[in-house]
Amino acid sequence: MNEYEAKKFLSSYGISIPRGYVISSEGEIDKLSLNYPIVAKVLSEEILHKSDVGGVILNITSKREAKEAFKKIHGKFHTPVLFEEMVRGEVEVIVGVIKDQTFGHALMFGLGGIFTEIYRDVTFRVIPIAKKDAEAMIEDIRGKKILEGYRGIKVNRESVVDLLLKISKVVEDNPNIIGMDLNPVILTHDDAIVLDAKIILEKSGES
Amino acid sequence: MFDSLISPKSVAVIGASHNPSKIGYVVLKNLATHGYRGEVYPVNPKGGEILGYRVYRDIGEIPPVDLSIITLPAELTVRVFEDVARKSKFIIPIAGGFGETGPEGKELENKILEIANRHGARVIGPNTVGIYIPRSGVNTALIVPERSRFPGDGKIAFITQSGALGLLTMDSFAMYGVGFSAFINLGNRVDVNENELLRYFGDDDHTQVVILYIESFKDGREFMRIAKEVSVRKPIVVLKAGRTARGGKAASLHTGALGGSDAVADGAFKQCGVIRAYDEVELVDYARALAYGKPFSGNRVAVVTSAGGVGVVTTDYIESDSRGVGLKMAELDEETKRIIREEVVPFASVENPVDMTAQASDDDYDGVLEALNDDPNVDAILVYALFQTPLISERLVDIIEKWHHRGKKPIVVGTIGSEFSMKMLGEFEKRGIPAYPSIERAVKALRVLHDRAHILGRLIE
Repeated sequence: MNEYEAKKFLSSYGISIPRGYVISSEGEIDKLSLNYPIVAKVLSEEILHKSDVGGVILNITSKREAKEAFKKIHGKFHTPVLFEEMVRGEVEVIVGVIKDQTFGHALMFGLGGIFTEIYRDVTFRVIPIAKKDAEAMIEDIRGKKILEGYRGIKVNRESVVDLLLKISKVVEDNPNIIGMDLNPVILTHDDAIVLDAKIILEKSGES
Repeated sequence: MFDSLISPKSVAVIGASHNPSKIGYVVLKNLATHGYRGEVYPVNPKGGEILGYRVYRDIGEIPPVDLSIITLPAELTVRVFEDVARKSKFIIPIAGGFGETGPEGKELENKILEIANRHGARVIGPNTVGIYIPRSGVNTALIVPERSRFPGDGKIAFITQSGALGLLTMDSFAMYGVGFSAFINLGNRVDVNENELLRYFGDDDHTQVVILYIESFKDGREFMRIAKEVSVRKPIVVLKAGRTARGGKAASLHTGALGGSDAVADGAFKQCGVIRAYDEVELVDYARALAYGKPFSGNRVAVVTSAGGVGVVTTDYIESDSRGVGLKMAELDEETKRIIREEVVPFASVENPVDMTAQASDDDYDGVLEALNDDPNVDAILVYALFQTPLISERLVDIIEKWHHRGKKPIVVGTIGSEFSMKMLGEFEKRGIPAYPSIERAVKALRVLHDRAHILGRLIE
């Protein structure tokens, strides 16, 4: 599943994603109806760290810039390009799924950026989770103060609880998912929006 | 279903030995010295008599038994297994040399399992120190009695994947009289596993707390299901080893790199109400708190001490998040302070911790505990019974016992010191009062009682 497919799939569960379109030729950009600023991303299942290889261009403010971005990314990777409205939010979190050998599917939640990279401030629960599990996951995080209005940051905790419950449901309904990374998920005043998504499915024939 | 294992009416020892250094002798000796009252059938082709028991030359000569303990090496164990399985409800093959040694041993293991299944016998092990049930006197463990001690009967059931760690843990707690309702070493766990036993002890009237030492779960999901059911009625404490092993299965994902299987286990425990211990001391300390103490959901603790420094360190441990448990020191009610100041101990500091100083007497403790029990601002009491000062006597144990049983508030006791204090610790233990030989251990026991209240709240909700 590529990023766009993964996001559309999550969106079918009522999970928020940015508005966006997949563009395969420069001409299609004329018909693009997105609110600027927008972002362009290489659309490929193989490339795991898109921004490290120049596959992401941020803050595009006009059709002309969009076309340039398309040429740059398409020219380099020969793939379609995903154009999305840029979302500004308060704080980034990470949500993930792994399939554990002992307990099976498990859901992860943590604060994004250095909190996960350096402090490994994440917590897990076995899927399916209940609402109180989702709430307890937020409580588990050492950096939870950031979600409680630290330095004027204002987010909607309920939107996080809701996202965790929905991801649990996604995996329950689709046990062939063996891994998922929603990184980052941006929290706005009222919503949790998945900015990047990777979903790994079990290869058919494997069990 | 495990009744015939825990309280067998008859036990066969296959490979009974005349040689006191052999396990085939030790098991018989254990049965004799631990007061096992059922039938005992030692089997050895040489026949004769061991420790007054008649030895049977052939398994064919003995009647069906509840439990057979095979004390022979692996190869011989496999050879006699069919004959044993025909006669037994439960079989404990003690020997190593099975699955833990590689594919050939694994084959032997599969073979005995197949035989057992065919005859409807259940297997504990192999590669196990077996079981120790103080109540029924069944004890298959080989340790040197002059240098170690088996605990007496108690309320804690202990299921362990490591026999040696289990025995060492029991030995160290036997020092102050901590008892166990059962000890079972799963060994290679070819048949009977922790999930079945957890369910059994969950229903066992003699058991109030189940503790487990686990390196790998047989079936994690099944464990969660059973643990969730059991922990509504009985606390479960797990020492899960292998914290640092990484499960790098989904390494291309961030999520895979961030969470080893231990992080998942941690979440799973929270979901099914399991309390986690990080070493053998916590494992049994927490079990004792949960077996004897009252869970409390508030977080305000009153501390009573006759040594100021003990109160200060305790305060840090209670309040700190980093090297402490994140509870709160209670703000004592004015009326409590008045009573303590005017009626009980005019020389004491009536803030919390209540420091009664070295002039404190047993009766002063009585008065302070009464006042704290009536204080609406106090959720739990940590009382230090320090026997080193002249006006404190053994009667303090009676006084604390009175408030532990009669009072509404949970009480945890700290007792610091050498032989005499250890003796008193045993005295508290005997009376079912959670008591600990250090500040940190006492405070952590309090936190576990607090956690337990919240687990019950979540599970019952």
